[in-house]
Amino acid sequence: MRVPVPIPEIKIGASKHQRCHPAKAKDMVKINLPKERVENWKEAMLKKMAEVLDKYRSVRLFMDICVKCGACADKCQFFLGTGDPKNMPVARADLFRKVYRRYFTLGGKAFGFITEAEELDERMLQDWFTYFYQCSECRRCSIFCPYGIDTAEITMAAREIMAAAGIATKYVTEVVAKVYDTGNNLGIWPKAWKHTCSFLEEDLKEIEGVDIKFPVDEVGAEVLLVPPSADNFVNTDTMIGYAKMFHAAGISWTTSTYCNEAGNFGLFLNYANLKQTNNRILEAARQLKVKKIYWGE
Amino acid sequence: MGALTFIFLPYLCTAVFLLGIGMKVFFWIRTPVPLRIVTTPAPRTRMGVTWRLIGDLLWFPNLFKADKLLWASGVLSHICLWFVLLRQLRYFLYPVPTWVEGIQTLGLYAGYIIPLPVAFLLARRLVINQVLYISILGDYFALFLLLTITVSGILLQLFFRTYVIDVKALILGLIYFQPKILNVHWLFTLHFISVMILLVYFPFSKLLHAGGFLLSPMHNQRASFRERLVNPWDFPVAYNDQNIFSPEKYRQALMEQKGEKE
Repeated sequence: MRVPVPIPEIKIGASKHQRCHPAKAKDMVKINLPKERVENWKEAMLKKMAEVLDKYRSVRLFMDICVKCGACADKCQFFLGTGDPKNMPVARADLFRKVYRRYFTLGGKAFGFITEAEELDERMLQDWFTYFYQCSECRRCSIFCPYGIDTAEITMAAREIMAAAGIATKYVTEVVAKVYDTGNNLGIWPKAWKHTCSFLEEDLKEIEGVDIKFPVDEVGAEVLLVPPSADNFVNTDTMIGYAKMFHAAGISWTTSTYCNEAGNFGLFLNYANLKQTNNRILEAARQLKVKKIYWGE
Repeated sequence: MGALTFIFLPYLCTAVFLLGIGMKVFFWIRTPVPLRIVTTPAPRTRMGVTWRLIGDLLWFPNLFKADKLLWASGVLSHICLWFVLLRQLRYFLYPVPTWVEGIQTLGLYAGYIIPLPVAFLLARRLVINQVLYISILGDYFALFLLLTITVSGILLQLFFRTYVIDVKALILGLIYFQPKILNVHWLFTLHFISVMILLVYFPFSKLLHAGGFLLSPMHNQRASFRERLVNPWDFPVAYNDQNIFSPEKYRQALMEQKGEKE
């Protein structure tokens, strides 16, 4: 039976204190971002904002067409959980929209009091950092919006803009930097990856009594397997399952130390890192000369 | 004063309306769509997309999933608005087409209904806490404008009947650039001026949602992932010295493993 979720009373600033740790300089440098918040962050952000508005029709359109009907208001799990009104998808997008109106529209420049246009100041930036990192980009709100306005797109744009000014969170940047170091989000070095695979081979020998290979970096295999995050670390039974399946089907396969995990944290940061993180998969496939990529996640 | 209201104002407002909408739509269309981001469940064919957009236009299926009362008032107000607009085509066309004559009665009753859902939408903004929080002055302004227009229209229809021939002469005069100045009831002037304000307000506000949803990439894309979507502003991946695990290093590692040298 479906039990309706109680809709919380709004509590202004209820989750204001729940904030991410700022990024470390060494990670930021690795992923091609300014190592700390730049001196002229406001100009840098506005410049990037203009660029983003010219690159994504979704963002430009969503800035203009929201009618504030409130259909999405009680659909975000972060609002249902905290009751903080700025966690309503429409209010979250409004943090972006207020700045957009102030600097990019005639209505906001001339009649700021009607359209609630606001300056991009320190207070607004703090709100951006807090609330755009309290969105999980699940896109649930877009299912209920009559125009399909997707707050995830706006969240991604806002994070991209903040990243351009050197503002990001430690969690995301550290993971992306780790991917560039080791090929996976967990920071497993190539040697350790090879060892893990040989341990799994031994396990499999014990269980099944058959020699089943866990190939690593085999040039010329047919399939490159890029498993989801949990499989090579927590749910090793699934990993063993892959090996059994390939063995039974008689398909030659390999994993790559360059890219042994499919999870992409670039999605939570900016387009350049999203692309670079995914590009590893293609790069590994080219170098190993495989014919197919099996890609989890 | 008459000349200002009935000649200068309509030309100015119509020009602002058309130019404003044209500019906005131009900016939207000029902006590329780099990625496929359609919301599931998504149609796979162009025909499916057409049906989806027609559905969005007529009965707001997403809103139905979200909030039934809001959906009901939204659909009611929009459908009635369409009928009223179509009914009023009779002031703009000469001779009046048969189908416009046919919907006169329907349009009339639709006009009587409109204030109800609009008043409900207004009340909703004031009563529900979350919606009150997100509402800005512009939202109330749009609703008040709609209420003023519809209520003055109803009063003109029921109690302060305007001489329709005069109204038609006024509008046809404007269309054929032979404007006339009318001597009418002040209520008609109010009705007329509110519509002019609406025309000016339309392109610079959320009322533009009417033109926007057809372009929404969440709804007008297909879920055909076999076709490649070209991103016009794509750029190559940038590695730097700190990217320890660059492709070159990987290539070298593979070579060493096979006992080869570059």
